[in-house]
Amino acid sequence: MTPILAVCAEELGRILTLKPARSVLIMGMLLYAAFYPQPYLNEALHDVPIALVDQDGSTSSLEFARRLDASPDLSVAAVLPDVPSAERAILARDLYGILLIPRDFEQELLHGRASPLALYADASYLLMYQRMSSGVSAVARAFGAEVETARLVGIGVDPALAGAAVDPMPLTAVPLFNPQSGYATYLLPAALVLILQQLLLIGTGLLGTLPRPTPGVAAGPATRVGGRLLAYLCLQVLVVPFYLVVLPWIYDIPRLGSPLLILAVALPFVLAVGALGQVVAGLFRQPLLVQLAAASIGLPFFFLAGFAWPAEAMPAPLRLLAELVPSTSAIEALVGVGQLGAGLTDVRTPFLMLWGLAGFYGLLAIMLERRRQP
Amino acid sequence: MTRRGGFTPGFPLVFGREFARLRRRPFLLALTTLVPLALMALLTGIFSAGLATRLPIGVLDLDGSDLSRTIVRMVDATPDAAVSLRVGDLAEGRRLILSGRIHGLLMLPRDLERDVQAGRRPEVVFFYNAQTLTTGNLVLRGVAAAVQTAAAGIRLSLRTARGQPMDDAQSSLAPVPVPVQTHALFNPTLNYTHFLLAALLPALLQVTMMTGMAYAVGLDVETTHRLRILRRLGGGLWPAMAGKVLPYTLLFLLVLGLADAVLFGLLGLPLRGMPWLLLLADILFILACQMAGLLLALLLRPTAGAVSVASLLTGPAFGFMGIGFPRLAMGGFAQFWGALLPGTWFLMARIDQTVRGTPPELSWRPCLVLLGFVLALGLLSAARLEIMRRRTDAARAPRLPVTAEAVP
Repeated sequence: MTPILAVCAEELGRILTLKPARSVLIMGMLLYAAFYPQPYLNEALHDVPIALVDQDGSTSSLEFARRLDASPDLSVAAVLPDVPSAERAILARDLYGILLIPRDFEQELLHGRASPLALYADASYLLMYQRMSSGVSAVARAFGAEVETARLVGIGVDPALAGAAVDPMPLTAVPLFNPQSGYATYLLPAALVLILQQLLLIGTGLLGTLPRPTPGVAAGPATRVGGRLLAYLCLQVLVVPFYLVVLPWIYDIPRLGSPLLILAVALPFVLAVGALGQVVAGLFRQPLLVQLAAASIGLPFFFLAGFAWPAEAMPAPLRLLAELVPSTSAIEALVGVGQLGAGLTDVRTPFLMLWGLAGFYGLLAIMLERRRQP
Repeated sequence: MTRRGGFTPGFPLVFGREFARLRRRPFLLALTTLVPLALMALLTGIFSAGLATRLPIGVLDLDGSDLSRTIVRMVDATPDAAVSLRVGDLAEGRRLILSGRIHGLLMLPRDLERDVQAGRRPEVVFFYNAQTLTTGNLVLRGVAAAVQTAAAGIRLSLRTARGQPMDDAQSSLAPVPVPVQTHALFNPTLNYTHFLLAALLPALLQVTMMTGMAYAVGLDVETTHRLRILRRLGGGLWPAMAGKVLPYTLLFLLVLGLADAVLFGLLGLPLRGMPWLLLLADILFILACQMAGLLLALLLRPTAGAVSVASLLTGPAFGFMGIGFPRLAMGGFAQFWGALLPGTWFLMARIDQTVRGTPPELSWRPCLVLLGFVLALGLLSAARLEIMRRRTDAARAPRLPVTAEAVP
């Protein structure tokens, strides 16, 4: 057996026999796959409970309230006499918004004047706020257009033209890749890449710090680093398709990419993280320290990736720092080919960046390995 | 009471010993202070802008008329979107969206201006990347606002041209017949530092506190001998436990205080509630996380196992705490799991006392739940310690006569 294969076989044996490494790289992968997506399984926020304060009490205001309640975004959970009593319910988190229909709502509409509504929406939870404001706006727009068209027809405008006079240039918004604006569809593809990185980083860091068999396979530093990377690839050949192909299928996330392309992009990602794990091991030297150091780094890495929060809004030095973390490029490239159906040319930049990182951390790992050698 | 080197056993002795240990173990000190502070600084840097503005979108202008140019200008003038590229066809636009250079593509159809004037209601289409939800929603908001404003201008000319008297047309020229005045309660500017960052920092600290405490306690629990020493130094179970736990409480309080100083001082997070209630919630949150770490270290050995479980509990916890995706919309298991995390309740109390300014009578519940965590986890830890002591005593007791016989 060539030395590199011998190192690979030895490392695979350690993955299976060393309990800490096994529990992270195998059990951890399974556990997170089932556990992490739990909050998002319902995909969307529906029927946010709001209070209605109807000061008008007219046919129009009742009709408006009925339509609001029928919309998927909101539900009218309480009808209250005034705004202060509703405010208290909001502070207690029983309700998240107040829609105030002012006196003379119908009167103004009948006179053909703008008849404003006031929505007070809880913005301490932004998703709730978005849902309420877009829900009320959509109902109000449709309601207003109907009223105005009817009025124009009433004063003798041609019905076909009345529609154009109310809404001369409709905007059709086409959400690409995530047609329902689902939260799981948005978050999971990126989060799964991050979990892969986090567990592989801790697992390889542990393998690098746990005691090795003596005497080990006789091989140079480059061969040892390479052989271990080969072992991580052997393991990830099973884990990556599970995470990036099977899990999206289980959780019903739109998939456009071919599995082969996903694997091709995952290759430099696994190499980069496997090499980084060996660097981490070389720096920390103790399994417990690797675990402690890695525990809280996942959250910052996720937001650094420019996915949940746009990279355009980050300070330039942080964008540079973000490039050093494999997940940044990996999320861009893997979500691109997996969910957006991008080709390799579309994700060329992050793909090459991953190869660059694999080379850079690989060299660093070899240097640390050489230093460690007696 | 035995005196050792002039020290009286009791709480101060254990308390002082823990600080001495922190001096000797720079890694432990760094882990509990510098590491969370550095990561918090990183997160603060990421969100320092507070708002994401001028996100790049592309335009495919097939009309090239005055109207289409006006729309492009209006879109570019919104705070949310910036027209960064003009593309020649849809395929090019698609490629640019896939490569992430633009977040959306606005398509203005051929003969837009002519068809609008003729009342044919031509459609303006905006394709946007909804895979990245935050940016997708932002660029959509910008484009929708700009197109609506442009349409409002057209409506007046259409009506007067179609036989409606001028003054009548003008009087009804509200941009929309039923405008909605939306007031964003508690966070009027929809600032992400007040909404997300303010919640992320404690979530990050929760990881550090639970894993760090499991590690620090693990140092004493590794051998029963060390545990007995600790107890003897403390002169009893409770003083020993308090002496072990409180030094870290102070450190974590310091870290949280520094994070809050930046949030309140630099980033303008409002403190509309009661500072004392916020401080109380801080302390209870820290203690609850510490007690969880303590209990894990007592139940699971080796320490590595306790640290693993602590990071498994806290690492993916942020999603369960309902800041990004509200708990209201979660399934039963996720709601239940979220309720078991101290951070869920602390963030409620924190949001109450910072941005919401909730009066204490509506905000005591999360604090009470946190207190419940502290008491329950503390009592369980004490019980576990007591069991461990009985066990080691029982293991020793029968051996005593044997050794007595063996050594005549």
